[in-house]
Amino acid sequence: MNATLIQLAASAALVALMIAVAGWARIARPFAPLDEAAARTLLAGEFPGRIPDRVWIAGDGAGAVARSGEDALVVYRLGDSWVARSMPWRLAMVAPVRRGRVLLKLRDPAAPMARLAVSGVNPWPPETPAEALAA
Amino acid sequence: MTLDPITPAFSPVDWAVPVFVVTIVLEILLARFRKARAVYEVRDTATSLGMGLGSQIAGLLTAGVVLAATLWVYEHRLFTLPMTAWWAWVAVFFLEDLTYYWFHRLSHERRFWWAAHVNHHTSQHYNLSTALRQTWTGGIAGTWLLWLPLIFLGFPPAMVAIQKGISLVYQYWIHTEAIKKLPRWFEAVFNTPSHHRVHHARNPRYLDANYAGILIIWDRMFGSYIPETDEEPCRYGVVHNLGDFNIFRVAFHEWMAIGKDLAGSRSPREVVGYLFGPPGWSPDGSRDTSATLKAKWRAREAAMPTPAPEQIAAE
Repeated sequence: MNATLIQLAASAALVALMIAVAGWARIARPFAPLDEAAARTLLAGEFPGRIPDRVWIAGDGAGAVARSGEDALVVYRLGDSWVARSMPWRLAMVAPVRRGRVLLKLRDPAAPMARLAVSGVNPWPPETPAEALAA
Repeated sequence: MTLDPITPAFSPVDWAVPVFVVTIVLEILLARFRKARAVYEVRDTATSLGMGLGSQIAGLLTAGVVLAATLWVYEHRLFTLPMTAWWAWVAVFFLEDLTYYWFHRLSHERRFWWAAHVNHHTSQHYNLSTALRQTWTGGIAGTWLLWLPLIFLGFPPAMVAIQKGISLVYQYWIHTEAIKKLPRWFEAVFNTPSHHRVHHARNPRYLDANYAGILIIWDRMFGSYIPETDEEPCRYGVVHNLGDFNIFRVAFHEWMAIGKDLAGSRSPREVVGYLFGPPGWSPDGSRDTSATLKAKWRAREAAMPTPAPEQIAAE
């Protein structure tokens, strides 16, 4: 038992060392905030065959929401990568904004919530009720 | 020379731990100084290594049951195969690798076992640390049962354990983008970084392919081999990538999803489908499985206009 504990403790120390080296090296993928063109490219890769109408970009460029029919196509940054999910557009439109972020419930145990920055330039929701009705 | 048929004389994985540490640091340094291709994101790396560490602890929880079952089967074995015979080692090498192939294929193509294996595929990176993103729930999922026929045949448990360890250590070094392609003869016979990149890719073209452990010949034999192509670089991760780096979400998210689906099931057929259907199965077909994703990809490829010969010449 002692040997197992010593082995685990030594492994944990080595794990900490490797994480420290990875942090020091700074070799993650470079991140550029999304603009509409980049968001559309990203959405096309994540949702092939879906045509987004309009694209809303998060205030910090770390996410986007696009309408495609009755669905909201959501992408958001995780580390140096992206996470994508779809949800009903009508639910996205009533998502609450708290502390400057819109909270989109994705209803998936693997990715329960997207928290996207809202700015004055890009307010949430992107559609007024009248626009939503017209659509 | 005699070898204990029950207790392995050595653990290949334990012996390889220093190699794991040195090579991960080396891969990071080579990438840092632009001598090799590798991408490390620090939280992703922490998650991978944390999963590796956690899997050691999780393995202890089911070790007793696995050992008891193994010993019981060995007591009722058909033959007694000697650990000192070279041919027995050759036989266990091929048979263990064949077992691994089917274990791995099952772990991708049936959701119950995918739930235990998916964590290994949740990194959106492909580097040596990804290799250590190991399962916490494999023991509970019972995939170790697949190796019991070897014990029943008469291979000593220690021999099978050593060969399993060798296979695991072999599969470590192929988790890298630093090595592009190896000599053609090697690529034809062995699992390589190129083959395994395809296995970790989420592009529809590459889904459910290259299940090999050491030998890629099994994929070629059983129709699951797909080569890596320069035209379509691998994008790593799972079809629906995880929303954060929470290590418990990595370990348990698919089990949680199964539980959620079972809670909403309306018939025994749905229960069986959600548990043992392919990942993505749903009663109304509204979700995507690998097969439907591939079919949609093929349809998109077929719909793309073929360039005219003069266009190709101009390029």
